[in-house]
Amino acid sequence: MTYRLGVDIGGTFTDFALVDDDTGALSIHKQLTTPRAPSESVLTGLAALLERTGVGVTDITAIAHGTTLVTNAVVERRGAVTGMLVTKGYRDSLDIAMERRFDLFDLRLEFADPVVPRALRVEIEERVMYDGAASTPLDETEVDAATIKLVEEHGIEALAICFLHSYANSDHEERAREIVAARYPELRVTTSSEVLPFMREYERWSTTTVNAYVRPLTDRYLRDLETGLTTMGFTGRLLVMTASGGMVTPAIARRFPVRLIESGPAAGALMAAFLGERLGEPNLLSFDMGGTTAKGALIRDGRPLRRYEFEVAREYEFKQGSGLPLRIPVIDMIEIGAGGGSIAAVDDRNLLAVGPRSAGADPGPACYGQGGDQATLTDANLALGYLVPDAFLGGRMVLDQPAAERVIGATIAKTLGVEVTRAAWGIHEVINEDVARAFRVHASEIGFDYRRCAMIAFGGSGPAHAIRVARKLRIPKVIFPVGAGVMSAIGLLTTPISYATLRSGRILLDGLDEPGLEAGFEPVERQALELLGEAGVPEEAIAMERRLDMRFHGQGHEVEVALPEDFQLAGLSNLFHRTYAQVFAATPLNTAIEIVNWKIEASGPRPDFADSYRPFSGPRASRAAVRSVQAYRDDKAGFSAWPVIDRYTLGQGGSVDGPALIQEDEATTVLGPGERVEVDALGNLVAILTPTGDSP
Amino acid sequence: MTSYDPVSLKILWDRLVAIADELVLSLVRTSFSMNVREGYDLSCMIFDAQARLLTQGSYSVPSFTGTAPRTIAHMLKVFPAETLKPGDIVMTNDPWMGTGHLFDINVMRPVFKGGRLVGFTMSVTHLPDIGGKGISSDCTEIYHEGLRLPVCKLRDNGVMNELLLDIIRINVRVPDQTVGDLLANVACNEVGGRSLLEFMEEYGLEEIESLSDAVNDHAEAAMRERIAEIPDGTYENSIQIEGPGHPITLTATVRIAGPDVFIDFTGTGEPVRASINVPFCYTIAQSNYVIKCLTIPSLPNNEGSMRPITVTAPENCVLNALSPWPTGGRHSVGHFVVPLLMGALAPALPDKVQADAAMMNIFSVQGRHRDGEEITSLFFLAGGLGAMQGLDGRAVTPAPSNMTVMPTEIWENRTSITIEKREILADTGGAGQWRGGPGQEVVFRNDTRHLLEIALMGQRTEFPAKGLAGGGEGARRHYEVNGLTVDPKARIELAPGDRITMREAGGGGYGDPAERDAKAALVDRMSGYVTEL
Repeated sequence: MTYRLGVDIGGTFTDFALVDDDTGALSIHKQLTTPRAPSESVLTGLAALLERTGVGVTDITAIAHGTTLVTNAVVERRGAVTGMLVTKGYRDSLDIAMERRFDLFDLRLEFADPVVPRALRVEIEERVMYDGAASTPLDETEVDAATIKLVEEHGIEALAICFLHSYANSDHEERAREIVAARYPELRVTTSSEVLPFMREYERWSTTTVNAYVRPLTDRYLRDLETGLTTMGFTGRLLVMTASGGMVTPAIARRFPVRLIESGPAAGALMAAFLGERLGEPNLLSFDMGGTTAKGALIRDGRPLRRYEFEVAREYEFKQGSGLPLRIPVIDMIEIGAGGGSIAAVDDRNLLAVGPRSAGADPGPACYGQGGDQATLTDANLALGYLVPDAFLGGRMVLDQPAAERVIGATIAKTLGVEVTRAAWGIHEVINEDVARAFRVHASEIGFDYRRCAMIAFGGSGPAHAIRVARKLRIPKVIFPVGAGVMSAIGLLTTPISYATLRSGRILLDGLDEPGLEAGFEPVERQALELLGEAGVPEEAIAMERRLDMRFHGQGHEVEVALPEDFQLAGLSNLFHRTYAQVFAATPLNTAIEIVNWKIEASGPRPDFADSYRPFSGPRASRAAVRSVQAYRDDKAGFSAWPVIDRYTLGQGGSVDGPALIQEDEATTVLGPGERVEVDALGNLVAILTPTGDSP
Repeated sequence: MTSYDPVSLKILWDRLVAIADELVLSLVRTSFSMNVREGYDLSCMIFDAQARLLTQGSYSVPSFTGTAPRTIAHMLKVFPAETLKPGDIVMTNDPWMGTGHLFDINVMRPVFKGGRLVGFTMSVTHLPDIGGKGISSDCTEIYHEGLRLPVCKLRDNGVMNELLLDIIRINVRVPDQTVGDLLANVACNEVGGRSLLEFMEEYGLEEIESLSDAVNDHAEAAMRERIAEIPDGTYENSIQIEGPGHPITLTATVRIAGPDVFIDFTGTGEPVRASINVPFCYTIAQSNYVIKCLTIPSLPNNEGSMRPITVTAPENCVLNALSPWPTGGRHSVGHFVVPLLMGALAPALPDKVQADAAMMNIFSVQGRHRDGEEITSLFFLAGGLGAMQGLDGRAVTPAPSNMTVMPTEIWENRTSITIEKREILADTGGAGQWRGGPGQEVVFRNDTRHLLEIALMGQRTEFPAKGLAGGGEGARRHYEVNGLTVDPKARIELAPGDRITMREAGGGGYGDPAERDAKAALVDRMSGYVTEL
């Protein structure tokens, strides 16, 4: 008997998913996260899970791990004292940033501070030109002296080396690293060309400095975790999830910890893609809504869309532009400040607004009875009858419905001059609209047709909103997977070891020949093969995908073109034109085409989890008596009695006709009148929606 | 007529804003124009059947704040609503009807539901080129500046006006890109019309005029409530800015009377023989922008939100220049409406106003890349922001319009001009209890091996960014070639190997410098923003 374990450290809970390799049987566990020493909650939770299931630690062959540690360290500024060596004349690049206001009408904008303060950035005499030629040699004495000063006077633990045009020629950065290493072998050094050889100095250096900033802490964390697991007797392999949805070894994670940012939600999207593949739904919207935020991802042809842009530590009302930009490969996630804890208020317009501020877990929504005095989405859902007061979190918490109604009445309904129920409905519906809008806007940004997709809804609050969101988007099918509360932990088990990266290199398509094409990919492919080799993946088992960012000469936006296996250079121009027409819904121009970025993704073999995954062990006896609640349909139909169904009693081929609430430990699925779900072979609930009018 | 309670109103209104936002994003994505891509120099609007502005996309530069109702009124004067057919596209780039200069094309499309006109959509974008001399200081009449299109039909009953497209093609330097952007506007309006109809269908609406009443009345009421909180009175300000060879005076009187704002520009100087004259529509937009910032910044623009604001200016002053005065660079005077009005309202709204910003340095570069390709482009560098009560001005940040910085690595690839240095300039932000944002020093070296021509249009070289409430002024803008000071409004030549140094101005401070928090002062010195004691 062998097992595999997925462990996802979230802000509140650490989730565990243990899968039996032979039967595919799934055991799950939730443990409160210990933010100060996150490895502790992993080790404690693992011990509890092993005890409960009777599985021996030596039977676990692999642990796949995702963590919010790195994200939190940047947000809470708990990283190391970090220095920066930078090309002469460019010390202020991190402060000058984008020279842009992220809101034109709000004058009181605040921006995230760089992780390296101005006093710890030292300029170095050196210069590489745009074509890669070194016009000023590296002043090696200056590098040495600057490092000594940073270490001895400022006590830096980490150093970022950031020189101009290092994507075209990294010699100076590498030489500087050697000099530093000779002087301080223990100092953790990150160069901008190794993190991502991407053309745009501010974003590359922002990424590089954040990577340096979180290295010491990631190092300590992984060491503690590995030691703890070894002490417990674990002899299998530990892998760490990255934001792009690929697994890396702890060694790679230690070198590029910036890539671990936002890996938890990425795993959820991967799980959605994996399920979609099992269910024959290659095009999907993954909708994950929890306590503070909702996350969406678009999945095309079985793959979550990716990009090389992320922003961490948004300083001002979660607004895009107020954080630190990172250029790392990430699954393209939509993040909305909408979750169960989102606070409702009357805004400057004298209208209802919900989120992005959240009541969090403490004090939490008013109905938690912990002193929350602001109306939240959870309060509204409770007032509408979409939550069963004594079945929340598997009955571990009893919700106070009168308190929810009182606070909605006092803070919202009275100000707006409407009934409490109408206000609660407004809160519920505003969130549906916000989520639908975010999907719509993002789909239009990237040219994605969601109307032929299915939605997969999970997270603590997702299933309560999914059908109404889907209706707004005219999505015909919604899937509620088993284990909605631990999707990320399961998702960790579906993903292979992989490494994605890119380099910038501008070249006109007309001037490109086959050797030029190969040369363009060579540096990034070499790096990826080396890293996967270190991780023990044999070269013949590595699948290499190539993509190019291309554009019309003079245009600012690039189109990503995936190169098929049987790719011919002669067909590239056509391939670009086709993709362009698809993405922009516009006729391609008769203008020269250029390549801007060279992207690769190298992957090892996929875990065979895919074939054994059978989370559904058949229906269980109901733990709660079948009963009903008064729930709200809309302002015409008002309240009526809706049955509450225990999800765990539903067997394969079973079905539920709405109106109904389908209750499971971590979530409630809201099924309106006339709607129906069926239980599929994996235990998922599947709703087929027929278009109807909506009432505002 | 349908009525809407606050819950429905919120949901339907936000959905309309979202439709407009979607249009904006799809236009940005397809645009060739750098101003559109990097600076959101565009806008998208939805109108009801009476051509009342229902909503405007949230992202756009201040110059477009609330100009569209006038634009569509001009269009409907030429082509009355009852004569419009499905498949019509109406457009103009007339500076006095649109948004103040020939670069901006205004494209409108009527929306029909079952043969009945239910509304309009409109988009405005800054085209990559419009022929003529564009934004150049030596234009003295609008005729120098490029192709001017009266209100005309680009498409009539579904038939494209190919002759019009040919006229545009033959008049511009980059015909593919210009026509490409124009057609992107058409496509965007098609999508907008479709989205509006789907929205109506989803909510079972036969018309949107009742919704328009509700939205506009609500917005108006919210604005009036906020304006009524401003102490009544008449507030005045007069500033000098740099004109061609002589200063220009801008004067404003702002009268707050209960829930109304009256802004008048009497006392402002005459138009000038340079392309920096401001058509009145642009002056109104900047005025609306200021009032919006000082009242409800998050309120989506619509007809109702502008109703409480009345703007007047004497005919043929520089803020109400008539045809044929040249207007290509109207922003370089028009942007000063913002500090002018902020300064006027400072006594009334001390906790809301912002001290003067250093403004952007916009300059054009013409020459050849080392590889032979022609370079002709506008570039932007920001100075410091003004401080506010409780908030230092941010270093090197543009205002009131926006741009994204051109990274050195992209710039050098594109031009082969080396940028030796971009450094925040110590001691350039105005002193104050809250400090003005410092400017920057940027040094360019001509490594192209060709002669470069740079047209400078720098402001704040003579008249610095002023502080408010006792705050100090920011440092002035200053340019040098090879160490020698040059005329900040000149067209200069840069020989191979020559250097030009641009010192960008600082923003104004707010409040008495003696009151500055000791810790903030220490941070200033440690970071090197301030070196003087």
